[in-house]
Amino acid sequence: MWRYIARRFAYMLFTVWVISLISFILIQLPPGDFATKMVSQMLSGGAREVPPEVEAQLRAQYGLDQPVYVQYATWIGKIIFEGDFGYSFTYKRDAIELIFERLPMTFTISLFSVLFIWVVALPTGIYSAVNKYSLSDYLFTFVGFIGLAVPNFLLALILMFLSYKFSGQALIGLFSPEFADAPWSLAKVLDMLKHLWIPVIIVGMAGTASLIRTMRANLLDELNKPYVETARAKGLSELRLLWKYPVRHALNPFISTVGWTLPTLVGGEVIVSIVLNLPTSGPIILESLMQQDMYLSAGFILVLSTLTVVGTFVSDLLLAWLDPRIRLQ
Amino acid sequence: MGDILLDVIDLKIHFFTDEGVVKAVDGVDLAIERGKTLCLVGESGCGKSVTCRAFLRLIANPGRLVSGEMHFRSSTNGTIDLAQLDPKGSAIRDIRGKEIAMIFQEPMTSLSLMHTVGDQIMESVLLHENVLKPEARDRAIEMLQRVGIPKPDRLVDEYPFRLSGGMRQRAMIAMALSCNPTMLIADEPTTALDVTTQAQILDLMLDLQRQDNMTLMFITHDLGVVAEIADDVAVMYLGRIVERASVDTIFNAPQHPYTQALLRSIPKIAMQRDELDPIKGMVPSPYRRPSGCTFHPRCSRRIEACNRIVPSVTELAPGHTVRCLLYENIQETEALQHG
Ligand SMILES: Nc1ncnc2c1ncn2[C@@H]1O[C@H](COP(=O)(O)OP(=O)(O)OP(=O)(O)O)[C@@H](O)[C@H]1O
Ligand SMILES: [Mg+2]
Repeated sequence: MWRYIARRFAYMLFTVWVISLISFILIQLPPGDFATKMVSQMLSGGAREVPPEVEAQLRAQYGLDQPVYVQYATWIGKIIFEGDFGYSFTYKRDAIELIFERLPMTFTISLFSVLFIWVVALPTGIYSAVNKYSLSDYLFTFVGFIGLAVPNFLLALILMFLSYKFSGQALIGLFSPEFADAPWSLAKVLDMLKHLWIPVIIVGMAGTASLIRTMRANLLDELNKPYVETARAKGLSELRLLWKYPVRHALNPFISTVGWTLPTLVGGEVIVSIVLNLPTSGPIILESLMQQDMYLSAGFILVLSTLTVVGTFVSDLLLAWLDPRIRLQ
Repeated sequence: MGDILLDVIDLKIHFFTDEGVVKAVDGVDLAIERGKTLCLVGESGCGKSVTCRAFLRLIANPGRLVSGEMHFRSSTNGTIDLAQLDPKGSAIRDIRGKEIAMIFQEPMTSLSLMHTVGDQIMESVLLHENVLKPEARDRAIEMLQRVGIPKPDRLVDEYPFRLSGGMRQRAMIAMALSCNPTMLIADEPTTALDVTTQAQILDLMLDLQRQDNMTLMFITHDLGVVAEIADDVAVMYLGRIVERASVDTIFNAPQHPYTQALLRSIPKIAMQRDELDPIKGMVPSPYRRPSGCTFHPRCSRRIEACNRIVPSVTELAPGHTVRCLLYENIQETEALQHG
């Protein structure tokens, strides 16, 4: 057990390191850098010409003239020892500030989406498996496929329209105007919850649909296993037996993947956040990548991937706690 | 015959699959005597497992109990026709595990690997008896001790995947016996084990059966095992019991051509007579069972009427019945079936 945890922990550290390396290199890959970007902006902004010395000076100012590995070492060193994620060229602020502004919102939406997915998908999947080929099974399958097939932005527009039609106000953003810049209070939290359901449903929709399918398939596999018949032959009622044995077994594959839901949710969130104008990480990551604002994008990617890897580590622990085969090996 | 515990009359269980109807059990008559060991033998696929699962109403879709009666002398509720019970209802659940318990073929997969052995044994006890957890736990340990598991007080908290096959099957037996059932059904409980373990488990089951005067229905296709443990034997072929007699009669004076062929096909017995002789032909497809007597295409003693008339049960001697046209008045049966 302890060896298992130690091994997982070592994997986790290693993975985070590799991710930091890859994300930094990837961000360097497109031709040009922030300095070229600024020069072209100056040109399109009306400057007739920008002397090469200015460009070189810009480059030196931001340390972009150093070799990549030096830039990487400086960057990662500052993160580890000073918690300094570098500077956002576009926002003219510390990257870490922006990350901490946006990340909690992303996290809130992700958390609620995961809850939404589980609360809706698990019972539905179980019901579908137990009542295989019933009318409701077909209905859930149909709805599930629609959920998978409808693009998120379309769903966002539809829900926005519906909320406007029925409540008279467009539930855009995460806060009503009067709360947008207000300090945190109970009223602000309630206001946020009122806005939150739209992005949560949209971001969670595809995940819900696919989790219903997986849960159904997993459980169908388990329902025919001999241990289920043993339990039935003991005289257990169908419901008790279902929860104690096959559902418990069918859950294992999910627990090991909980950690990986974060990146898919963040990916799904980008477009929705743009459409709904939400102050989350997705849009700002996209923007920083387009502007070649390297420290900001690298910082976001590093933090999100680290959280994902930590999430995976946590789900490994959870799995070990739930499954004696892992715990006792 | 003496005291009948379970009387099965004309039991039919058919599977309605997309490819067609499988008549897995097609008119089984079987009387099971209290306190005795009855062995059910027959080739793979003849319907042994389906028959005994039907007693506990464990047949799942697409299988259906088409017709038949199963009169069971309950120790608390008088005689009950199991065929009339709702398979999900509480009446059959009170019988499962408490009055009729079952042991399955695969000790490796018949226990949940995510729950401790003790948890799974205690569950039966807590379900059927009015006891609290500590008491149920003591009972589980006591049962594990009875089935010969060393250090039962430690093993009770162990997970099944840490036990050997033999130990798991012992744990299964402990689980099945934990509520002192009147009848125990064992569906090939030793097939998955090695020979030594097999012998130990058999001895154990016989011991326990004698101690508790329990009725044992034992399914196997190993005639060596039958010779060792059976009081009575029922021979099954493609969904019907073709012969039923005491173990001595079956081995020394079998009457049905299938029983005779089955005995000739066992190396140990045949070797003495110098005539190893496997049964001719293939087991027919489950979707297209032969008409009349289902054994007729492979039978060496068939007569003209065999492919037309389904033989009925003929009593040759008290406790010895056979389903074969050679032993019955064909005109009478034909008149009955076509009249
Ligand atoms: N779920 C099912 N769907 C369709 N047919 C089935 C199903 N279960 C059993 N059968 C059919 O019922 C027949 C009898 O099966 P059963 O398992 O009772 O045989 P058996 O005598 O126990 O064989 P074995 O010695 O191999 O255990 C087989 O022909 C099988 O094809
Ligand atoms: Mg079987």
